[in-house]
Amino acid sequence: MTIRNTLRDHGQRYRPRMACLKKTEKVLLEMQDPKTGVRSQPQRLVITTIPHAITGEDIIAWLADRFQVDTQEARTFGSMLVALGYIYPLQDHKRLVIKPDVSLYRFQTPYFWPTQQWPVEDTDYAIYLAKRNIRKKGILELHEQEHYNRLHKWMNHKWDFIVMQAKEQYRAAKERKKPDRVVFDCQERAYWVVHRPPPGTVSAMDYGLDRLTDPNSDEAKTPDFYERIMIFTQQSIMRPRVKSSVSIGALVKYCGTYNNHDPFLFKCLPSNPWLTDDVTYWNLNMPCVEIPTKMRVERWTFSFAELLSDPRGRDDFRLFLKKEFSGENLAFWEGCEDLKWGEAATIKEKAEHIYKTFLARGAPRWINIDGKTMEVTVKGLKHPHRYVLDPAQTHIYMLMKKDSYGRYQKSPVFKDTVKKAICPEEHNFSVAQLEQNAKKRRPSLSPIILRQMEKEQRAKMAANVDITQVMSKLSKQGKEAPPPPKK
Amino acid sequence: MGKDECKTMLDALNKVTACYRHLVIALGSTSDSQNLREELKKTRKKAQELAVANRTKLTSLLKDKTISKDDRAEYERLWVLFSSSMDLLEVDMKRSLEIGQDFPLKVPTRHLIQTGMTGSTTTVAARAMSVQNMKYEADSTIDTVDLRDLQSEITQVSQMMEEMEMKVQVAPWAVEAKQEAGAELKSNMSVGNSSVGVISICEEEPKEEEGGGSRDAGIASVCAVLVFIVIIAVAGVLGYLVINMS
Repeated sequence: MTIRNTLRDHGQRYRPRMACLKKTEKVLLEMQDPKTGVRSQPQRLVITTIPHAITGEDIIAWLADRFQVDTQEARTFGSMLVALGYIYPLQDHKRLVIKPDVSLYRFQTPYFWPTQQWPVEDTDYAIYLAKRNIRKKGILELHEQEHYNRLHKWMNHKWDFIVMQAKEQYRAAKERKKPDRVVFDCQERAYWVVHRPPPGTVSAMDYGLDRLTDPNSDEAKTPDFYERIMIFTQQSIMRPRVKSSVSIGALVKYCGTYNNHDPFLFKCLPSNPWLTDDVTYWNLNMPCVEIPTKMRVERWTFSFAELLSDPRGRDDFRLFLKKEFSGENLAFWEGCEDLKWGEAATIKEKAEHIYKTFLARGAPRWINIDGKTMEVTVKGLKHPHRYVLDPAQTHIYMLMKKDSYGRYQKSPVFKDTVKKAICPEEHNFSVAQLEQNAKKRRPSLSPIILRQMEKEQRAKMAANVDITQVMSKLSKQGKEAPPPPKK
Repeated sequence: MGKDECKTMLDALNKVTACYRHLVIALGSTSDSQNLREELKKTRKKAQELAVANRTKLTSLLKDKTISKDDRAEYERLWVLFSSSMDLLEVDMKRSLEIGQDFPLKVPTRHLIQTGMTGSTTTVAARAMSVQNMKYEADSTIDTVDLRDLQSEITQVSQMMEEMEMKVQVAPWAVEAKQEAGAELKSNMSVGNSSVGVISICEEEPKEEEGGGSRDAGIASVCAVLVFIVIIAVAGVLGYLVINMS
């Protein structure tokens, strides 16, 4: 089996690319064929008749026939065409879906087709809003009014141009005949519904951040370009390789273990909030919840990393270690994590604090690491940096993993938690209830508030530590003195 | 004076840019035709002439160090107008190249998009060229031949814009606009019957913004009809009495 070398495929790094756009354009062209394309009919309005209107059911029937799929899939595909902006609805223009009845649609002109290489300019949007203002005063909706005010503020230097251009475009549009004018207005409006969606809707062209370079353009063959290729090749030669039997075995094991815990692949209890708009699942799985769910507790038994990464699991483990009077290991590990991920300005004082609390001789919460690591750490602490405590942290981590973790799983603390863990019942919402849930959607707590809560919690814990320090000191006085660091 | 000359030239460039955009929007749709391609070519050439003329005028004005501060502010404003027009023009030219290549006219299996627009764009082009009627004299290969010209013209325009950036040191963000927000609302451009009719045609189900307008219009028309009926009834009664009496 050959694995294709992705050596020269620089395009793979540059995402996103909406490959669907080029493919959709081909389908659109097929739909235009007068014989084999979609059947079009004239749209009769009060005064005029405008040709080339197509009904939703015709589109769906044609798609189902062309791609040999069932109606539901054709309907989804049709909705995608409308959401992207290749076809626009004539009635109910703000809802970009396809309705399988006689509601009318029309094809969009190629200039207004969605494309990634021509970014949607705010100047054009400002001109469009100005044009609408000219046509009828007070016609702008609330979100459009807000956009208008914002653009006026940020594009103030161009505002003269925008007003002038809007007036000229308006006059130029009036030169055309009445039916064409109507069509043009509908086209432009549809274009902006796709690219500046009204609040509460999402634009289908919202593909995330644009990358700096276009993967399809040719790269200049500079020495730098060749140097990058050389480095890439050297690294691929030096890379250690794992036998596929081993790596695949690991993948299979992982999939087997986590299969039931993945909301994509298995139902999550009580119900997936993204599907039913009911946030019970998130409330039950908050970081500092009193009683965890059964699934969560099961995950703690998979690996030590899982236990530590879950804040509730860490709390439980901390409780267990407190009972065993070896809480300093976890505290040291947490301090090291804090140092690694914290602000650069606080590194020095954090490192000092950790040394005084955990590493110095006679420290209140002295940790038991071997002599060599201690030597290396103390030497490194003279010039502290972010990763100065890494060897010590790894040692303590392995100690906890090999020793305390096993005992924790057999301890009464854990068994108690397992017994108390709840298994919520599955929700069974009717369609009406689902709609109600969707209406009652509210945004969750702002991350600023969450961070503040975390800070308060940490401060509370730091205050608590003093008591346990005293306790552990008292208990240590009863036991023998800590052994001197071995050479 | 230099300023007024500049302003008229800029207005002309603005007009041509707006018309060019309208023409490019019609490309590839059912109102596309050989005439449209020719109109595009002519409009483009006119736009380029105006652009070059504007650029020489404005660069000479801005390079002059002896002008007053107010004058300089005014010229910078005109410069921003000019460069924004050129930005739009350049993008429209590039897009017309792309769409023109995708939709050749003479290939029978390549269909134009049925957008519902079927009328011609002669009047728009006539407006751009400031003539009464357009004359069409191009031959049938214009859609392919023109594209080559278009490519060279696009490179010309890009070069011109780069030169502009290098030669003239104007900070576009420092320019203050003369018009305030909603300036166009006070403009007395036609809010005539035709445009209101256009709106009500576009909205198949008159809702929200249309609901208010049409409700008022509805009440007014109902009242008018009632008055009319009353008058007719009175006239009928009087006529009947007259006939009875005689």
